[in-house]
Amino acid sequence: MIITDFGYCLAPSNAVKVDKTTDWRFEKLCALESDVLKCIGCGSCTAVCSAGHFSQMNLRQCILSLSRGQWEKSVRSLSRCMLCGKCLMVCPRGINTRHLILSICRIYCPGEGGSNA
Amino acid sequence: MRERLLSGFDPFVLPFMIGMCFVLLYCLVAFVRLMGQLSRKERRRFFRSLFIPKNIARNVRDIFCDCLLHVKLWKRNPRLGYMHSSIAFGWFMIILLGHIETFLFVPHRAGLFYYPIFFRYFMVMEGTELKGSLLFFLMDFFLAVILSGIALAVYKRIHRAFFGMRRTTRLSLIDLIGLYSLWAIFPLRWIAEGFTANVAGGSFMTIPINWLLRSFMSNPENITAAWWAYSIALGTFMCVLPYSRYMHIPAEMILIPMRNAGLKVRAARRGFALVQIKSCPGCGVCIDACPMGLAGKKNSMDASAYLARQIRRNNQKNYRDIADKCLMCGKCKAVCQVQFDSISVRRLIREAVPYKLAHDYSYLSSYVESGAVSAENPVEVLYYAGCMSAQTPVIPRSVQRLLDTANISYKLMDPDGSICCGRPLILAGRSSQARELIRSNTRIIHSSGCKILIVSCPICYRMFREEYKLKGVQVLHYTEYFDMLIKEGRLAVRQGEERIAYHDPCELGRGCGIYNAPRRALSAAGSLVPVPKEKVESICCGGSLGSLTLSYQERSRIAVGSLKNLTANGPDLVVTACPLCLKTLADASDSTPVKDFAQVLCEHT
Amino acid sequence: MINKNIVIVGGGPAGLEAARTLRNAGLTPILLEGSDRLGGHLLEWDSLFPSNQKASEVLESLTADLEGIKWFTNSKVEEISRIKDIYLVRTSSGYTFQANAVLLTTGFSLFNATLKQELGYGIYDRVITNADMERYFATGEHPCIHEPKTIGFVHCVGSRDEKICNRACSKVCCATAIKQACHIKEKFPLAQVYCFYMDLRMFGRGWEDMYYNAQTKYGIRFVRGRVCEVSEGMDATLNIKAEDTLLGKPIRMKMDLLVLMSGIRPRKDTEDIASNLHIELGTDGFYSPRDPFIRTNESSNEGIFLAGTCTGPATLPETFSSARSAAARIIEYLESK
Repeated sequence: MIITDFGYCLAPSNAVKVDKTTDWRFEKLCALESDVLKCIGCGSCTAVCSAGHFSQMNLRQCILSLSRGQWEKSVRSLSRCMLCGKCLMVCPRGINTRHLILSICRIYCPGEGGSNA
Repeated sequence: MRERLLSGFDPFVLPFMIGMCFVLLYCLVAFVRLMGQLSRKERRRFFRSLFIPKNIARNVRDIFCDCLLHVKLWKRNPRLGYMHSSIAFGWFMIILLGHIETFLFVPHRAGLFYYPIFFRYFMVMEGTELKGSLLFFLMDFFLAVILSGIALAVYKRIHRAFFGMRRTTRLSLIDLIGLYSLWAIFPLRWIAEGFTANVAGGSFMTIPINWLLRSFMSNPENITAAWWAYSIALGTFMCVLPYSRYMHIPAEMILIPMRNAGLKVRAARRGFALVQIKSCPGCGVCIDACPMGLAGKKNSMDASAYLARQIRRNNQKNYRDIADKCLMCGKCKAVCQVQFDSISVRRLIREAVPYKLAHDYSYLSSYVESGAVSAENPVEVLYYAGCMSAQTPVIPRSVQRLLDTANISYKLMDPDGSICCGRPLILAGRSSQARELIRSNTRIIHSSGCKILIVSCPICYRMFREEYKLKGVQVLHYTEYFDMLIKEGRLAVRQGEERIAYHDPCELGRGCGIYNAPRRALSAAGSLVPVPKEKVESICCGGSLGSLTLSYQERSRIAVGSLKNLTANGPDLVVTACPLCLKTLADASDSTPVKDFAQVLCEHT
Repeated sequence: MINKNIVIVGGGPAGLEAARTLRNAGLTPILLEGSDRLGGHLLEWDSLFPSNQKASEVLESLTADLEGIKWFTNSKVEEISRIKDIYLVRTSSGYTFQANAVLLTTGFSLFNATLKQELGYGIYDRVITNADMERYFATGEHPCIHEPKTIGFVHCVGSRDEKICNRACSKVCCATAIKQACHIKEKFPLAQVYCFYMDLRMFGRGWEDMYYNAQTKYGIRFVRGRVCEVSEGMDATLNIKAEDTLLGKPIRMKMDLLVLMSGIRPRKDTEDIASNLHIELGTDGFYSPRDPFIRTNESSNEGIFLAGTCTGPATLPETFSSARSAAARIIEYLESK
């Protein structure tokens, strides 16, 4: 938010206002695949990711961003996913990662305007 | 033999006639709509096949064996086979004999639908005729056969274990109405014909009933009441038929010629798939076969019979849920009496789910161009371990050791990460997106200049076989390749003492039909122990990528159940030939060790 | 009360400490140990965090004075039956003991790391466990440790992992990993040592100092990420994959030695004993105390008491205090009878 009318600028805050983000998308995602709440952020999925080897794909970061309402950039990276299922094999919390990714792809659409857009 | 009523009509035939006309009209409309759903090519193919003599013979044979005699069911479960075929074949024979009777004795009535059905009401017997009593005997004989089938069907509802079934289809209300009216038809026919047996003639079934009834119910009004009841039962059955599972009776008549014409399922709920869905009789064979039943009682509602029902009901939420949960192990399809291609239907249902975020694999091209596998020093054999094998390092390591032992010069296609084969995408219903992966992998394989591609993951293997066009490259699963090497004497395997139970991975066994190569090779290393349910019948380990929504807890329950089957005869170790099965079964096993095929061979070289 | 019998099942730290306490109170406890030596897991460990005291010294002080304790080695308990208030404990050595109270100090077993196939224990020579590492520290010999340049410690192997049916944290591995990391760095000062952790749980007294020293004095590098793929290169070095979750990027490394911190799991026979004695088990597979605050040493069955790690992961000081409180509770119980 930049206010220009006074002839000077207030620098926009870099902070994420987590308390200000109410995201119906994340609630919808929880309804579709509640496993998203189980993540402990160990990064196993990203470590073994076949697509992450070649691209920016990072499921752990995406889950975290979604839960903070910051999804615009991270969701786009999921389009690299090949659904190979390695993340499903390694997840220590037994998260159904493939269905989670598919559910995210069903709900979120980059360009539709995220709260950080 | 002559007619009793000059008019040849009685109002009691009306319920039957209403039902009959309704069914015929429904089927006609359904058939026309169905033809509209087929593509022009399919339609032409279908109609053309109806006039090819070889196909006609096949159609007649299949209709006779599958619909009437239930030969497949006999082979699988003789009691169930008898139950179904006695009703189907007996009924068919009664209708056929009724028409023969009408044709022989009152040819001018042959055009009336109801005459052959209610023949005994309209006829009077004068003296005894040989052909008459022979027909009477046959009629009574088949009625007895049907009644025995109905008795078994009633008993099955009470005590299904007698038929070796753990679970039977849970029926909906309309199915129940159909079922009870079907059960009622034949006892009522017996009573109705019993009433008129002294006039119209009868045989060993109807005459004793006649004596019995005449002794205390000789009022002629009872006679009409019995025939009314019989007609109403028939009418009810026919009226609910299009909305119940009994639609399978007419649908199968179309299904068989369509199948023999070589049509494929191309849309989830239209055309050939629709005929298959309508053809599902809900016999319940798939319910017991489905590994989902091991996950919990409510999971048995995810079997193909229920999928067909939900699609018939047009309940999108339910059939999508069922389609998403399935492990896609293919067992229901393998045991299905009508060869319902539920796997394709499920895949197509998944394909219809809308996604907002499209996949983008443009990043792969730079990897491919960077020369993923060097084209220098081309060798004959290329080994693709696949994504999963990275999680089970024992597999690629053992394969490489075996290749070294057999002095084969080979290259690795994915020593450091790989492009997925694309099958997981196809299983998730995103087959068009898989094209990009197929293209990339094809380029990598061709640029390596190999002649043989060895694959250790059955999921990839099936994909390479079915979806890739690899000209000049032979794709072999490592079980096939090592079996070949052993047979040719290029790989020496020492015979050991271990008793091995082999688990057929779904994609390798039912998916690609490879059952014997791994068994042959393993029997060189140890002695194979029979497993109660193996080969086509093998139980999915539960780890399958086919399922989208099954939770980890449900999967592990399936794994435990699958392992129980494998260890039933007390083997020293369980061996499988799939990284996913290996991981899933090893996690579930706490006593019997689970090993990989190549690992076992490696230990015996 | 003097003529009342107490049988203690398991001759590890908890069993020994409980036996000593009971003996000091004038009783004659019977201590049964399944293996051929008293000491339990202490026998397999070289040194103890946070003070780096030798495990053998602790064990010595425990076993120095066993007078008044009837102890039997090679005596696996085969069956415990109950007749009225008396328990009959039958052992593999052929004896049957009468007991008014039974104290279970059966301990834990280390997670079998071969079950985590992707980490390659049992497949790659250079992947070892924390127990192997202690053995190396004690003996100074291991066939695969020759001047390693990079060493990785993988926390949480077999704990906090639903895939092997254990959601629980093993409590002591973080501290053990840091202790071992510092130790190996002392041996090979040129080596680069990494700890791969999911969450670093340094809650005990003096543990944070260990962490501090590991960072500053030893230069151990901590990576927040879980190693979950290991492959072997041509020269037998290990290629590992993890994500540095704080950096937000996948990382790949070459390792000369990878140490898996096997977690604490219930013993295999726990379930059998529990069903034999009608004791309740928790969802984690360890024995459940009658209540989690006051009666932590009592099982759900009267006369059967619990101490040490058979009720869940515990540090050594916790084990000792649990053993002493169990002894006190047993004395109370026998007096009330």
